[in-house]
Order: sequence, then structure tokens, then C-alpha cells
Amino acid sequence: MKRESIHAATPGWLMGLREAIPLLGGYIPVSISFGLVATQAGFSSVETLVISILIYAGASQFLFVGMAASGAPLWLTVAMTLLINVRHVVYAPNLAPWLPPSRWWPWLMHGLTDQVFALAHSRLPQLPESRRVGWFFGAAMLAWLSWIAGSLLGAVAGEWLTSRWPLLGEVMPFALPALFLVLIVPRFTSRRWAAALSVSVAAALVCTLVGLTNVGIPLAAACGALCFYMIRLPETAGTNKGTADKGTTQEGRSS
Amino acid sequence: MSLELWIGMLVAAVGTYLIRLLPLLWMQKRLARSEADGPVDALPKWLVILGPMMIAAVLGVSLVPRTPDAAGWLATVIGLGVTLAIWRRTRSLGWPVVGGVLTFGVVVIVARMVG
Repeated sequence: MKRESIHAATPGWLMGLREAIPLLGGYIPVSISFGLVATQAGFSSVETLVISILIYAGASQFLFVGMAASGAPLWLTVAMTLLINVRHVVYAPNLAPWLPPSRWWPWLMHGLTDQVFALAHSRLPQLPESRRVGWFFGAAMLAWLSWIAGSLLGAVAGEWLTSRWPLLGEVMPFALPALFLVLIVPRFTSRRWAAALSVSVAAALVCTLVGLTNVGIPLAAACGALCFYMIRLPETAGTNKGTADKGTTQEGRSS
Repeated sequence: MSLELWIGMLVAAVGTYLIRLLPLLWMQKRLARSEADGPVDALPKWLVILGPMMIAAVLGVSLVPRTPDAAGWLATVIGLGVTLAIWRRTRSLGWPVVGGVLTFGVVVIVARMVG
């Protein structure tokens, strides 16, 4: 009870900030790598910083600097950058039912990355409406600022950092699969959902292993959805929005 | 960066932002319309299913370790096991991630020392 009342007194933005901390394990090493790659490709620290502030989409930033450095046509560089990010179109509609009216949402959509979506999709339904804008602001802002700070660090001292602590860059990113596992496990509410989600995980893993990381996310999700529609196993919850949410209400609370 | 590249970068940035924003505006309109029409579930069923599938796909993509050797894969499997075990006990977000990362690190170091 005591813990619950402390939890209820915490401002929404602080809860979001705290719950997004695991994302840093993935964001900081990758953004340091981006800063390093960008400067090696001939971009200045300021240019690297501006790219991270404005585009703010990991894989497409790597592609942008890589293609620009190799002298690819500009229209193709921009088109490929946008094509990688097309998967984001399904994120906001999935969150929309849990977004209370606020003039802040259009601005906050800049922070809707894969990871922030995964976190918000699990947490927003569990929060009271009054705290959702604050929660999203805190979580998205921490993720964005860590990405910017990591990019700058990578651009200025990336080479030194990776040579001094090589293991850190290997261990920290495990925070991402650990976090996503915790977010997805409560959704294994029936054999039908379990089968479909497992297919999605396995398909994405295979896509990544064969080098199709970016197309792997929408492709694997489509495989999982197809599996969901094709198989007819007992379903206890999940397809009904309300039922699915009840199943996760007490789960995924921040420590 | 040349002026041309700056413009290209800005187009990519605005395009990425619109990819995130426009679907929200579309769905908010759809939700407002459905509220006016009556209690109809405005979120298409395929979208309800696709949301968790996208999270599962992001999990699948992130499973591949930075160094995909035997030590990396072993650490991934054990790290996920520990993450799951802590989640079952605590039902929280933070502790399972902390436990998983620490386990992953310890297993990688030990496996590299042994191997």
C-alpha cells in the first residue's frame, strides 16, 4: 500500500523518465557508434549533432551518412532514409486510443521511436489519463536527449571510448532485448497469441541474421499477424482491447 | 555538408516527422468520428494485433548480440532466462532489466575467459 501511494504521488513526467532508463542501455552505445561513424564519414561534430536532433531515427541516420559519404544521389539517399522509417506509420494509431486531448501530442510525436512505442504501448493503458502526457514527455525526452548526447560523445571521443571500454558497448545493449521481453511477456495471454508473437520474434531474428534488420521489423510483424489470423487456437484475451489491457494492468510497474 | 546535403537532411527529417505525426492525426479524426456516431470500436482489429507484433519484432531484432559468437549467444539465452525469472517474481520493469544486463555481462566475461 505504501509503495502504491508513493507511486501515485510521483509526477507523470518523472515516472516516464524513470521507466525509460533501460532504453539508455541501447541508445547510448548505438548513438556513440553513430557519432563515430559520422565523423569518420567526414561530417563535423555540429553536423552530426543536428542530424541526431532532427532526424532522430537510428538506422536511417547510419544509412544517410553512409550514402552521403559514398556519393550516392541525394534523392536516393533521402528516399532510402524515409523508406526505412515507413514502419513508424503504425505506431501512433496504436497509441491514439490512450492519448487524452492535448496540444502537445503533435510535438511529442518526434520522439516516437521503436523503443518508445514499445514502452508507451504497454504503459499508457495502465496510467490515469491525467498523467499520460507527462509520462510520454518524460520517457521520450530522456530517450531523445540520450541519443543526442551519445552522438556528440561519439563524434568528439568515440574512438577513445570504444578502445578504452570495448566490453561496455557489447554488454549495455542487452538492456533492449531484456526490456522488450518484459514488455511482451504479459501479452502471451493465450496459445493463439503465444504462437503469433513467437513467430514474429523468430522471423525478426532470422531477418536480422541474414542482414535484413530494417525490413525485418514490419515483415516479422506481418508474419506474426498472418499467423494470428490463420491459426484457430483457443483465445482468452488479446484481440479485445479492453480484455487485453486488463491482463496487463498490474504488470510492468517500474521498480 | 554542402547546401544541397543540408536541404536533403532537412527533407529527410521533416519526412520522418510526418511519418510519425500524420497517422496520429488520421486516427484521432477516426476516433472523434466514431465517438460522434456511437460506441463503435474505432481501432481496426488488424491494428490492435499489429501493435504487439511490432514489439515482438523489435525484440527479435534486438536479440542478436553485438558479437554473435558462442559466448554472445550463451549470454543472451541465460540473460533472457534471468530477466524472465526476475520479472515473474517482481512484475516490474527495472529490476528484470538490471538483472538481465548484469547476468549477460558476467556470462560474456566468464565464457570468454574459459573459451
